[in-house]
Amino acid sequence: MAKDRLAGVLERYEAVIGLEIHTELTSLNSKMFCGCPVAFGGEPNTRVCPVCLGMPGALPVPNEAAVEATVLAGLALDCEIAPFSQFHRKQYFYPDMPKDYQISQYDLPFCGLGHLDIEVDGEGAKQRVDLDGGPYATRIGVTRIHLEEDTGKMVHVGGSEGRIAGADHSLVDFNRAGTPLMELVSEPDIRTPEEARRFAQKLRLIMLNLGVSDCSMEEGSMRVDGNVSIRLRGETELGTKTEIKNMNSFKALHDALAFEIVRQADVLDEGGRIVQETRHWDVTAKRTSALRSKEEAHDYRYFPEPDMVPFEFSAGWIDAIRARLPELPDARRERFMRDFGLSSADARTLSEDVEFAAFFEEAVALAGTPLAKPIANWMLGDFSAYLNAGTVALSDAKVTPAMLAELVQVIDAGTISGKQAKQVFTEMAETGDAPGAIIEIRGMKQVSDTGAIEAAVERVIIANPDEVASYRAGKTTLIGWFVGQVMREMRGQGNPSLVNEILVKKLG
Amino acid sequence: MSQKTDLAGLSARAIREGIAGKRFSAGDVVEATYAHIDVHEPGIHAFNELTPDLARAAAAHIDAKVAAGEELPPLAGVPAALKDNMNLVGTHTTCSSRILSDFKSPYDCTAVRRLLDAGALPIGKCNMDEFAFGSSTENSAFGVTHNPWDLSRVPGGSSGGSAAAVAARMVTVSLGSDTGGSIRQPGALTGTVAMKPTYGRVSRYGIVAFASSLDQIGPFSRSVEDAALVLNAISGHDDTDATSVREPVPDFTATLGDGVKGLRVGLVRDMLDLEGCAAEVREATEMSVRTLESLGAQVGEIDLPMSQHGLAAYYIIGPAEASSNLARFDGIRYGHRVSDPSDVVDLYMRSRAEGFGPETIRRIMLGTYALSAGYYDAYYGTAQKTRTLITREFDAAFEQFDVLVTPTSPTVAFKIGEKAEDPLSMYLSDVFTIPLNLAGLPGVSIPCAKSESTGLPIGVQIIGKHFDEATMLRVAAALEGALDLDMRPPAA
Repeated sequence: MAKDRLAGVLERYEAVIGLEIHTELTSLNSKMFCGCPVAFGGEPNTRVCPVCLGMPGALPVPNEAAVEATVLAGLALDCEIAPFSQFHRKQYFYPDMPKDYQISQYDLPFCGLGHLDIEVDGEGAKQRVDLDGGPYATRIGVTRIHLEEDTGKMVHVGGSEGRIAGADHSLVDFNRAGTPLMELVSEPDIRTPEEARRFAQKLRLIMLNLGVSDCSMEEGSMRVDGNVSIRLRGETELGTKTEIKNMNSFKALHDALAFEIVRQADVLDEGGRIVQETRHWDVTAKRTSALRSKEEAHDYRYFPEPDMVPFEFSAGWIDAIRARLPELPDARRERFMRDFGLSSADARTLSEDVEFAAFFEEAVALAGTPLAKPIANWMLGDFSAYLNAGTVALSDAKVTPAMLAELVQVIDAGTISGKQAKQVFTEMAETGDAPGAIIEIRGMKQVSDTGAIEAAVERVIIANPDEVASYRAGKTTLIGWFVGQVMREMRGQGNPSLVNEILVKKLG
Repeated sequence: MSQKTDLAGLSARAIREGIAGKRFSAGDVVEATYAHIDVHEPGIHAFNELTPDLARAAAAHIDAKVAAGEELPPLAGVPAALKDNMNLVGTHTTCSSRILSDFKSPYDCTAVRRLLDAGALPIGKCNMDEFAFGSSTENSAFGVTHNPWDLSRVPGGSSGGSAAAVAARMVTVSLGSDTGGSIRQPGALTGTVAMKPTYGRVSRYGIVAFASSLDQIGPFSRSVEDAALVLNAISGHDDTDATSVREPVPDFTATLGDGVKGLRVGLVRDMLDLEGCAAEVREATEMSVRTLESLGAQVGEIDLPMSQHGLAAYYIIGPAEASSNLARFDGIRYGHRVSDPSDVVDLYMRSRAEGFGPETIRRIMLGTYALSAGYYDAYYGTAQKTRTLITREFDAAFEQFDVLVTPTSPTVAFKIGEKAEDPLSMYLSDVFTIPLNLAGLPGVSIPCAKSESTGLPIGVQIIGKHFDEATMLRVAAALEGALDLDMRPPAA
């Protein structure tokens, strides 16, 4: 398999990868050039109007919120924001494109050079055979970010798997047509499939934090294409590249690039040459296949969109957008480490998701900073497990920050044991009842009254003379058995550490 | 109503006052209009479609206002015709093209909506050169329109139907669109007042685009005052057209009577001397300027040598944008589609080949070529630079003058078929009007004389500064008043 052979290939060849990532601005209220709502799916051709259907005489009016979202994304990636930019028409005929040209950007995109820092650890880090195999960080350049309109969707009827090959006829759904689409082009700074995956994942996190898109690769609101070439290690000339499409998950992105690198190496090793072409990733067959070669490439006849005036962004306007930049995951992670003493790994997991991070911070605010660590542990442990097991969205969970804060507080106060706390959490997650109420109803209050514990200990000692003798003869490992007996005597409500302490004293 | 046809010659103001004063009703106007059309339309063919149901409904609305004693809107009861590239729900919008022959408007053009909201009655949709490509209305898929002054001659184009309908008194006003002269040139050839406003003054939303950076909607009328009333109605910013501007819109009728005393009027000398400009046209233009001088204007002369390159630049930029704007007529969503396509490329190619006429195909070819990789800089890039230079030349001229004067068309109306086989000669019809579209300037053509040899009307073009249609119309009104021509054609 390609994956198994990747390491060997990368010993001899260096891969050069650049990504083109399309992100639909799904959080906006309206399409790029008209007032139709932005949403996924729906009854075909119901979210359309004369503008997004390309009716004769209809005109596009740019959605300012989409322009702002693109500039915001550019600022988040330290891009240069163009003082002067404009839309161009990219012209080619295709039935899913109502005007038979796409309003896009050409030589004057909104955002120019920027960068994104990624971290690679675990197994994937070993793909960098030129490094030591351990975790590393690297900076990937961003060439540009521009804005364009999405196309409609073709539905091919009568063929296999909805592909056009063998289809009898095709239908077009224009619901998606005109959805604001942001395209990011990376520099060819990526060297391994793992780096490509990390880049795409990190970009997704940032877009989610900016609140501009739901970035669903499954629904196509985030689409990643890759340009990949290989060259012998030490070579400085670039090899011929291929473009890979249809990578509909992060795993697909990784596996498709890995396959393609190995495929190219095989071609070169056999004395062949790489053909510049677009290749399609088949997730079932786990291979790429040629879609079309660049020799048949269109002349897009780009020219400035005459239906709109160019954009001139003042420094003041750009600063106002910059002021809207939220705290991004990297900054939040550092703050969590600094303010709450969390480990880098814990802080990263907690900081990535905006809602998850906000939940954590709210719980910490209620419980107090000293309890930040146990809150983090709960969130990364039982709470995450619960959410993942039931695929429950955080916003749908019955557990609130206040409930989690209360839970860690009662544990800290010794009111319940850690074991009881797990029961309380499970019940809390299922019912939405507060920890206090659950403890009350279940009679779970932990007994820390030394008199009651001493009485129970006495009863256990009297009832089990043989074990007491063994213990006193040196078999001190029996202490656990005694604790269990006492806890049973107390219906589980004894404070375990006090029970232990008193037992040791009485037995000794 | 006893004197039905008498209503046909009335001005917009007289119609509104007549209805308000209950001398006749808006319903009377509609019936008189269609009666007049019945007489003259067979010989002229100004219309692709008549819309009596819409007109009667609009008239009933006006008459209800009269009955209720309500204030009437400024164009109440005024019969209006629309070029057949403007969308109006309840009508077909064909652009005189086979490819759109069955196309029903799914929405309203903003300028049309504003005209109707001002009380005008939608009488019908007018013939035109297919997609506005032409200067004679001969490039219509539905037959040529005849000039009411001489039915063997063209009315000009591309808005020939809109011009002929007004000239023949079948409607009081009409809307046309002007990309390189398509309002002003037919205005000159039919003896009507024909105006292209400043680019951005009137929304383009809903007019089927020819060249987006050049197209502008404007009125035909039989008086400068009526033109000003229509401009009042259709001007102003529109949220659905990103190139429409937020300039304030004055009442263009308010200053019509202010005269030209002290205004600086520049005669563009080198345009008069252009080869191909008929002597009678040159003389009529010079006479018009002398008339303005006699009214108190300060007259001077200026050369605009860069504007002579306008035609060349226009025949790059116009077709380039058109080739893109017309891509959408692909047979997929609407319009003509072949019945038996073998695949999608076959569907595209044959639907378009069957649907478009020869001039349309010629423009698409020209524009596609001009935008192609390797040619873009030499053609489109150079044309855009020329456009900038022409704009600057006008800007400089307007430091010396308040308005500029040129002929509108180098000749009077020519015979049907005379230039049909010679596109370059046809293109020259717009040599005086094109520079304004490239510079975005407003221009109005008004009749200034009749040819001594043929009796056909001759037009003069008055050019204003950006967004200063008011001064331009003021000069036009002064000239109109001084010349006091009878511009009723034989077929009216």
